[in-house]
Amino acid sequence: MNYFQLFNIEVSFDVDLQQLSLNYQTLQKTVHPDKFAHASEQEQRIAVQKSAHINDAYQTLKNPLQRAQYILVQRGVAMPNEQHSFQDTSFLMRQMDLREMLEDVRHSGDVDAALLEVQSVLSTEYLQLSQLMRTQLSENNAASNSAACDNLRKLKFYQKLNVEVDRLEDSLLDD
Amino acid sequence: MAYSEKVLDHYENPRNVGSMDKNDPSVATGMVGAPACGDVMKLQLRISEDGIIEDAKFKTYGCGSAIASSSLVTEWVKGKSIEEAGQIKNTAIAEELALPPVKIHCSILAEDAIKAAIEDYKSKQSK
Repeated sequence: MNYFQLFNIEVSFDVDLQQLSLNYQTLQKTVHPDKFAHASEQEQRIAVQKSAHINDAYQTLKNPLQRAQYILVQRGVAMPNEQHSFQDTSFLMRQMDLREMLEDVRHSGDVDAALLEVQSVLSTEYLQLSQLMRTQLSENNAASNSAACDNLRKLKFYQKLNVEVDRLEDSLLDD
Repeated sequence: MAYSEKVLDHYENPRNVGSMDKNDPSVATGMVGAPACGDVMKLQLRISEDGIIEDAKFKTYGCGSAIASSSLVTEWVKGKSIEEAGQIKNTAIAEELALPPVKIHCSILAEDAIKAAIEDYKSKQSK
């Protein structure tokens, strides 16, 4: 049973997160330790394992990039090794520019405005890539799956940038 | 995680940080990235007509090990021919910096950056 079947939802990148959360809670209740207070040790152990599995499944489907990766793996698309370096020069040049832009925020005359500007640029570019990946995932053929895989790798760079933005925001608040 | 002394040295005093004009025909640019950690590395080499690396610059956004790996590589490639530079292995970088297993990918990234720069140079030469 795959993660989508587990929560009784359609295999798709478009997930109704509210529905997913509801189904997750319902499912977790069925394996809650209270229910197994008087059960055998073996039954208790199985319930704990099931609960962990349900949790893994929920975390995977809740996060868009993990969900995309899960769908691609389920389709048998060979994901490149995570350690395998990425060599799309123009994309990486842009990533360099974005990181420089983020670095300059701190030294800008109006730090708040500069931070907002970076956030807006990042979310626009993330959204564009993510929409593209969504379309490619829904086409579901060899070429589109491989293109989706490529865009998923690109989105991970944006995910990392967003972490950096949050970190910068926190450190600016501390100053 | 504790960094080795050599990593800290390169991290605190990175060698050859900077940029060259990527459109200059004698400049080779290698851009590589690691999706898993979001590191981005740019290595640029100025190559003489007889194929010797005269200067090297880098700019890396990433962890201390990624910065140290690229900084070390700029020191190593200077004065080498592109063939010699192309033979630098990530294992040598990892060994020199005493990188722990979880940081080996940083040295792979640096090796790939040299290769990407050499590719860039070759494609510029063939034009």
